[in-house]
Amino acid sequence: MPDVKLVKARKTFDKGRIVAVDQVSLHVRDKEYFSLVGPSGCGKTTTLRMIAGLVEPDEGEIFIGDKLVTSLPPEDRDIGYVFQQYALFPNMDVWDNVTYGPTVKAWTEKKRERIGREMLEMVKLYDRADAIPDELSGGMMQRVALSRALAAGSKLLLLDEPLGALDAKIRNELRYEIRKLVNDLELTAIHVTHDQAEAMAVSDRIAIMKKGRILQVGTPYELYMKPQEIFVANFIGESNFLEGRVVRLTDDIATIRLRGDLKVRARRNEASKRNERVVLAIRPEAFEISKRQRKSVNELKGVVEKVRFEGTDIRYELRLANDDSVIVVRPSLGGEWFKHNDKITISFSPDKTHTFLYPPQGLLTELELE
Amino acid sequence: MAHGAYLHDLRFWKNRRFITSTFIFAVVASLCVFVLLPTFYLISFTLTRWTEVYADVFANPLIGDENWMQILRYLSFSLRLSIVAVALDFLFGIPLAYFLARKQFLGKSLLEDIITLSLVIPTSGFGVATLLTWTGVSGLGVLLGRGVVEASYVVPIVNVPFLMLLVHVALTFPYVVRTLQGKLENLEPIFAQASRTLGASAFTTFRKIIFPLSIPALFSGGVLAFARSLGETGATMVVASIHTTAPMAIVRWVSEFKLATASFLGFLLIIFATIAILLVDVFVQRIGAFKTPKSNTLARIGHQVLRTEKVLSGKLRWLKDIASLAAVLTIVILPIIVVLTSVGAYWSLDPDTGKYQGSVLYQLFGPPNYFSSLMSATLTSVLVAVISTYIAACIAIPSVYLIKRYRAGGTLRHLLRIPLIVPSSALGLSVLLLWGPSGLNLATPGIWLIVLTHIVFSVPVVMEPTIAVYEGSGISMYEGVARTLGATPYDAVETISIPMLKRGILAGVILSFTRSLGETGATFLVMGSDVTVPPLVVNMVESLAIPAALFASAYLIALSLILLLLFRIVVRK
Ligand SMILES: Nc1ncnc2c1ncn2[C@@H]1O[C@H](COP(=O)(O)OP(=O)(O)O)[C@@H](O)[C@H]1O
Ligand SMILES: [Mg+2]
Repeated sequence: MPDVKLVKARKTFDKGRIVAVDQVSLHVRDKEYFSLVGPSGCGKTTTLRMIAGLVEPDEGEIFIGDKLVTSLPPEDRDIGYVFQQYALFPNMDVWDNVTYGPTVKAWTEKKRERIGREMLEMVKLYDRADAIPDELSGGMMQRVALSRALAAGSKLLLLDEPLGALDAKIRNELRYEIRKLVNDLELTAIHVTHDQAEAMAVSDRIAIMKKGRILQVGTPYELYMKPQEIFVANFIGESNFLEGRVVRLTDDIATIRLRGDLKVRARRNEASKRNERVVLAIRPEAFEISKRQRKSVNELKGVVEKVRFEGTDIRYELRLANDDSVIVVRPSLGGEWFKHNDKITISFSPDKTHTFLYPPQGLLTELELE
Repeated sequence: MAHGAYLHDLRFWKNRRFITSTFIFAVVASLCVFVLLPTFYLISFTLTRWTEVYADVFANPLIGDENWMQILRYLSFSLRLSIVAVALDFLFGIPLAYFLARKQFLGKSLLEDIITLSLVIPTSGFGVATLLTWTGVSGLGVLLGRGVVEASYVVPIVNVPFLMLLVHVALTFPYVVRTLQGKLENLEPIFAQASRTLGASAFTTFRKIIFPLSIPALFSGGVLAFARSLGETGATMVVASIHTTAPMAIVRWVSEFKLATASFLGFLLIIFATIAILLVDVFVQRIGAFKTPKSNTLARIGHQVLRTEKVLSGKLRWLKDIASLAAVLTIVILPIIVVLTSVGAYWSLDPDTGKYQGSVLYQLFGPPNYFSSLMSATLTSVLVAVISTYIAACIAIPSVYLIKRYRAGGTLRHLLRIPLIVPSSALGLSVLLLWGPSGLNLATPGIWLIVLTHIVFSVPVVMEPTIAVYEGSGISMYEGVARTLGATPYDAVETISIPMLKRGILAGVILSFTRSLGETGATFLVMGSDVTVPPLVVNMVESLAIPAALFASAYLIALSLILLLLFRIVVRK
């Protein structure tokens, strides 16, 4: 029942000098785990706060369920909101925090008791009901905040960097715990984070934001496999970007001449005419790497400049014959290892590439986070 | 159906807006009527009656511009006194603040309490204590068999009376110490440690990092101290001897019905105070930190300077800490001890002459019967303090909301700081002219006019600590949380903000109560026959009933110590 729609929502601060959210339209479906991802300062929190009613948009409309809520105060929107700083009321113990929603909604004593107990048991903190927030660890506090947000029975859960203040290990555990909770209780969740790995791990769909705008919405698979913008290709996962010009076009393959007259075949995507300036994006994990030539398509020669062992993966920084530099990542437990100064050949399949038009303001500007 | 729900919500929302605007109007209106209007009325009074004022001050048919000459004399005397006092505040206050911010030691909180004490102590009582300590035979004089100095002794070179300077430093140095200490505690760990790890000595770090960063704090502390000194009346009147300061002149002129001259002097004092606070609030705080000017001379002798500083960092530290500690103890604690013990010494006979007529007992219960006047003054004082603090809290707490919620709040806050530093006798005069018989005639001098006067400064006194707690505890975030959990704005205020603000409010209420209890300058002008304790003390001194004044001072100081204890419990919970 609670799907969430934003229609051309816009919010500025400082008398219009800062455009925090610009013409954002979104549809979050019922029972979906939806994430809003982007570099910090891109307007994620502001978007979420508009949905919650904590800020009112300058323009545009917001619907929760079928109801227009644009200027409805937060207490009438029936939402649960979890803040990055936990925001447990310091003047109340855990129990009073969790039952705060039912209390201000004047539910009966009996119902409050039952809900409070259920909620705290759900996050396995019933035995800490008497604790004051300061006595709890970060992970515990965030679990209390979560149960508090859900205690009044809301079916829409808004999470603003809920794991941002936690240690890496706890962060990983808690994100699956939240995901499971959302499934079990059949909630709709909107999760804001700057951590794309976190979003990829738990979300049904993700929206990528940059500078107040939404660039692409899709499942983790779609964002990884079919990024529609250079920024997305770089922000979700990682990409090598090689500049070149189109020399030949067939139905779905573009032949591209890189610097130094190297020719490669790539998926056609945005390339539309001969001699057009394009950027070829290839993920570091899309390359094969070997010391021998194998006479397959898209072979490029190069030298290993740097090797970094990262545990799960090995990361090579290569210098190609045309002086372009390329990052290649290989699983450390599969295949051959290479050393500094090894002469190698890399290859990649055309359908693991993406071709974008060369951005008018230049590649670096396009990739800037803020 | 969705459409209907929308309409319903819209109506609900509008209704709420209506309540909100009514609330804002009520708060702003009471702020204007009870606080801002009385503060600035003297200005408009002086300007609207300019011909009258001019005729009296500059072109008096009898004495020409003699009144103007007197104003200039008192004003320049007061300014000189305040400047010297602030200079001494800096001299002792800066090392003390640095010491308190850096060190943890046994008795630190006691030292901090002593510093707070001089902010809340009833000044006329403190004046008696100082007078006795330095000029009486039972003070420091026990060692010499006579007073250490004459009451009228003037410090050469700076040319200000010794006793006045002492009480002004004692009553104003806490402003410098506290603002600076607060600032230092915030920046000490990061910047200074970084500087030390980069190889700078403690002294060099102070000069290059800490001092430039704390200049804004020094400025605001200095201005507060300056304003307080400029307006101080209670203790000043007690130790004045033959000297007269500007606020004292106002009190005297009002009692002589020279209202035009008095109001012109009050007008000037208010203008001075307003300019001072605006300078600090608007300019200094914006700048944040001052860049150390690049000086060529300094660069040339740089190496030498750095070496000297290294040596000083090692050796001089003790000296300056001890010196400033000793100063505080001598000017604040010693008089208090002296006054408390002297009550015992004077209890049944004058230790000097051995006469019963010079004893506390005789003056309180004998024919002078000061005890009954003291008791009725106490009743008046407590009534005034309770009523004005209560009304002030009712105005101040909602004002905190306005200030933190709305864009214009910043300006409002600057305006509301002005009553805190306006010399209180000017304030009293303003209230007298506004509400009193010659103005709107709402109240004649007496308890209600005192209440109206005390409300003016009590509102900002309650407000400041409440705002501090508000800012320190992220109230607006918690209110947002409460709203997402289904609380209406009123629920949120009631269940979250008020409980969280409770400590700030309580601290403010105690401070306001104490300040009302100790206020002298303004009360003098508006009290009529409803005498409160501090003016009573001054009257006792002026009628040379020293043992009675002693007892009343000890009594006032004891009261303020109890309040301070309460304050401490509230603040340090
Ligand atoms: N209350 C505010 N006043 C002024 N600027 C704000 C306010 N809230 C957010 N901003 C600005 O809006 C932009 C987006 O902020 P935010 O939504 O918090 O980004 P994110 O959550 O993605 O980091 C930032 O430039 C931020 O500085
Ligand atoms: Mg954010």
